[in-house]
Amino acid sequence: MIILQILINGLLLGAFYALIGIGFSLVWGVTNIINLSHGAIALLGAYLTFFLFQTFRLDPFLSIPVSFIAMFSFGYLLQRYLMNFVVKAQIFMLLILTFGLEIFLVNFMTTFFSADFRSVTPSYAGNSLVLGSIVIPYIRLAVFSICVIIAVAMALFLDKTWPGKAIKATSLDIEASMMSGINPAKIYALTFALGSGLAGVSGTLLTLTQAFSPSIAGGLTLRAFIVSILGGLGRIEGALIGGLLLGVLETFSSYLIGESYKNAIAFGLMVLVLIVKPSGLMGRKYYAEVKH
Amino acid sequence: MALLEIKNLNAGYGDLRVLRDVSMEVNEGEIVAFLGSNGAGKSTFMRTIVGLNRAWSGDVIMNGKRLTNSPSEKIIKSGIGIVPEGRRLFAGMTVTENLEMGAYCNRKDIRRRMDSIFQSFPRLYERKDHLAGDLSGGEQQMCAIGRALMSEPKILLIDEFSLGLAPTVVDSLTKVVQDINRQGVSILIVEQDVQMVLEMSSRAYVMEVGAITISGNSKDLIDNPKIKEAYLGM
Repeated sequence: MIILQILINGLLLGAFYALIGIGFSLVWGVTNIINLSHGAIALLGAYLTFFLFQTFRLDPFLSIPVSFIAMFSFGYLLQRYLMNFVVKAQIFMLLILTFGLEIFLVNFMTTFFSADFRSVTPSYAGNSLVLGSIVIPYIRLAVFSICVIIAVAMALFLDKTWPGKAIKATSLDIEASMMSGINPAKIYALTFALGSGLAGVSGTLLTLTQAFSPSIAGGLTLRAFIVSILGGLGRIEGALIGGLLLGVLETFSSYLIGESYKNAIAFGLMVLVLIVKPSGLMGRKYYAEVKH
Repeated sequence: MALLEIKNLNAGYGDLRVLRDVSMEVNEGEIVAFLGSNGAGKSTFMRTIVGLNRAWSGDVIMNGKRLTNSPSEKIIKSGIGIVPEGRRLFAGMTVTENLEMGAYCNRKDIRRRMDSIFQSFPRLYERKDHLAGDLSGGEQQMCAIGRALMSEPKILLIDEFSLGLAPTVVDSLTKVVQDINRQGVSILIVEQDVQMVLEMSSRAYVMEVGAITISGNSKDLIDNPKIKEAYLGM
C-alpha cells in the first residue's frame, strides 16, 4: 500500500512540476529563450498570493486569476521592452540576461519580503480524502486538477485559436510567419507573457502545498528545465507527461534511495532522454529540439 | 496607374550593396517576369519588397501608398502575397492549417477561399490533413501558392517556383498561375527558366549584378540576341 501512496504523492507533485514546466517549455520552444528567471517569476506569484491572503484573507484559489494577470503583464513588458532588444543575440547572451534577472528578482524578494520561509494555510488545509490506508489531502487533489485543466486549456489554445496557431507558426518558421502577416515581436511578447502568467499560477499553487522563500527560485527553474527536456520543447502534452514522470521519480527515489539523491536521479533521467531521444519523449517532427 | 511601383530601390547586406537603383512596375492584371542568373539579386529584391530586408533608399509603392521599410504585417495587408523561394511552409502544421495561416491578416470568408484553392489544386484537398513537411516538392509548392492566395492579394510575388520540380509539375503549376491571373491577380514572377516565363508573361525585366539591364515586352525579348545568348543557349 505504501507504494501506491508514494505513486499518488508523486503524481500530485508531478502535476505541479508540469505546470511550471509548461510555461518554461513554451517560451524556450518558441522564442529560443531559456528563461532562468522562470522560478523567480513563479515566486512573485507566490508572494502576491501570500500577501493577498494575509492582508485581505483572499482565498489562495481565488488569487489564481490575479497571479495570472499580474505575471502575464509583467512578462509582456519584460519581453517587449527588454528581451526583444537582444532576442537575435547568441543564446549565451540571453542566458546571461535571464540569469541576471533571476538574481535581481531573488534579491528584490529577499530585501522586501525577507528570506523567511512563508506558507499559506487556509482553514481547510488539514482535510483529506481517506481511502483505506491511502490519504490524499483535498488541497493537493485540487492543485492536481487545476494543473491538468490548465494544461489541457493551453493545448487547446495553441491548436484552435488564431493567436495560438500564430505562436506555433512563428516557432516553426519566423520568416514564413512574417510573410503571412504575423508580427513576430507581438507573438514573442505574447508567448513570454503566457509563460510568465503560467509561472505566476504555479507560484500561487505552490503556496498551498509547501513553504517557500526566495531561495527556492533556482530549484523551481531547474525542475521546469528538466520537465521541458523530458517532454520536448514547446510541447504541452510533453510537459504534462514529463512533469508527472519527474514527480513520481522524485518521490520514489526519496523513499527508496534517500532524499539527497533525488536531484542526481532527476538529472540522470534527463541525460538519458537526451541520449536516447533528444527531441524529448513527446517531441514531434519539425518542431524545436534541444540543439547540441 | 501601376499597382506596384518600385523606384530607385537600393538594398544590401552589411556593406555589400546588392540592389542598385532598381525601378520597375507591375500594372493591374499583368504577369511580369523578373529574370536573372544566380546571385543577380532577384530574391533580395523580393524580400525587400515585403519588408524582410531593409531598403537603404528608394520607394516601394503599392496602390499609391508608400510602403518602404514598413513592417511585413502592413505590407501583406496592403494586398501583396508572396510565394517564397524554397516554399517555406510551416512543416509541422497540416495543409489546412498552413492555408489558414495565410489568411491571418484577412480572416473573412476563409471557407470559401479555401474551397476555391482546393478546386485549383485537387491534390491538396486529398492531402489536407497531412503535415506540410511530409508532402512532395510539387505538393508543397501548391500549398505555398495556396497559402499566399489565402490573403486575397492583389499582386502575387512568386520566387523560383519551378526549382527542383519535374517538368510536368511545372507545366500544371504554370497553368494554375495563369488561371489565378485571369481571376484578376497581378503576378510578378522571378524565374531562371527563361523560356517558360517569357511565354507566360506580358513584360519582363532582366537583372544583372543588382541592376536592371534589359526590359520590354516578353515577345520581343524572346528574340533579343543578348537574351538568347545568355539564357537560352542559342
